[in-house]
Amino acid sequence: MPSELLDGLRRHDRRALARLITLAARGQNIDAIRNKLGPPSSRARVIAITGSAGVGKSTLVGKLIEQLRQHGKSVAVLACDPQSPLTGGALLGDRFRMGAASDDAGVFIRSLAAASGRQAVADHLDTVILLCEHFGFDFVFIETVGAGQGDTAFHSLADAVVLLLQPETGDDLQWEKAGVLEVADVIVIHKADLSGADKAAAQVKAALDLAGGREVPVLLASSRTGAGMKELAALLESLPTRARNGGAAAELLFLVQQELAARFRRPDIDSLAADWQAGRISTREALRQVLKD
Amino acid sequence: MSNEPIRIVLAKVGLDGHDRGIKVVARALRDAGMHVIYAGLWQTVDAVVRTVADEDADWLGVSILSGAHMTLVPQIMEQLRAAGLNDVGVLIGGIIPEADIPKLLEMGVARVFGPGTSMTAIVDFLKPGRSPAHA
Repeated sequence: MPSELLDGLRRHDRRALARLITLAARGQNIDAIRNKLGPPSSRARVIAITGSAGVGKSTLVGKLIEQLRQHGKSVAVLACDPQSPLTGGALLGDRFRMGAASDDAGVFIRSLAAASGRQAVADHLDTVILLCEHFGFDFVFIETVGAGQGDTAFHSLADAVVLLLQPETGDDLQWEKAGVLEVADVIVIHKADLSGADKAAAQVKAALDLAGGREVPVLLASSRTGAGMKELAALLESLPTRARNGGAAAELLFLVQQELAARFRRPDIDSLAADWQAGRISTREALRQVLKD
Repeated sequence: MSNEPIRIVLAKVGLDGHDRGIKVVARALRDAGMHVIYAGLWQTVDAVVRTVADEDADWLGVSILSGAHMTLVPQIMEQLRAAGLNDVGVLIGGIIPEADIPKLLEMGVARVFGPGTSMTAIVDFLKPGRSPAHA
């Protein structure tokens, strides 16, 4: 079945792409898919869009799609939304906000559920990205779950990380904290039609200057007025296609984390945790049991 | 049939701004462990069919309260077929006169859920094993 689908993928059959993404996202046939596909003939620009819930990630992606389509670039969007840790259910509502574009062959939007505690992106996203690259998309956007401060795993999957902030998000000490600000390659003050946008931009720039080091562009943009979209799209297009951030080691780390998380999903984890909490087994023993194959 | 979550697209088609019902259904299906792709208001038939294809959905649920179901549903079924999505189950919800229900079922709709339907009834109908696609 996967080999038929892989043939379909090479023929640019969207249904094959859609089906393969389902398999990959579920962790099925991953090795077969990866081994048979090999590296893509052309790399896509993989852009992660992150920021807290409600900052306007989906809406901004919708506006960027418009811009990039005007330049003849094809775009795949992998929109991650949270999955309930209790029921496994998920409400995937991002594509609704991306608007328009739904009858355009150059745009592919796919919603993916991200389990909690997994760094704001869906499992096996690396393979899903690979599938999109083989299909031949120029751009692949990863929209993360509304991500707070610590979720940065997508950094290793993307060529560039765009962090969205909005006016009135906190005092200037916020920006000194470690985390997502450190991995951002581009910072967008979204909803820049609201008051306080200039101040937020100034605070972020000051925080970045204080750190020294790399130059991170800070842009003002508004999906409501369209201001700044042209500039942001141009910036994303001008980014060189480089090795993924952190290179092979970071990719390996991501895979190891994924594997460890998978080992944690064992049927007896609750009783194991209870034994450990009650002191019936030592921490070392508990770790040994979780990590054993 | 695996235990993987059911993927269902929920959408409103055409000029129909009443989305309270479909949001309640979306929430209930989410809480039943399904992956609900909410496509929202004012969708065209083309856009809905594209969404079902790209999202690789098992089911499509369309809510219609505008009275246009006898126009829209045939278009949806026709375009699903044209896109090779025969294996996707279609549910219709909303205000559908009793007399039209057999006609919709005739067109290939799996089930019509009217006002007063309990959420449990919908969840039970969709339970794994009944999923039409990718069985």
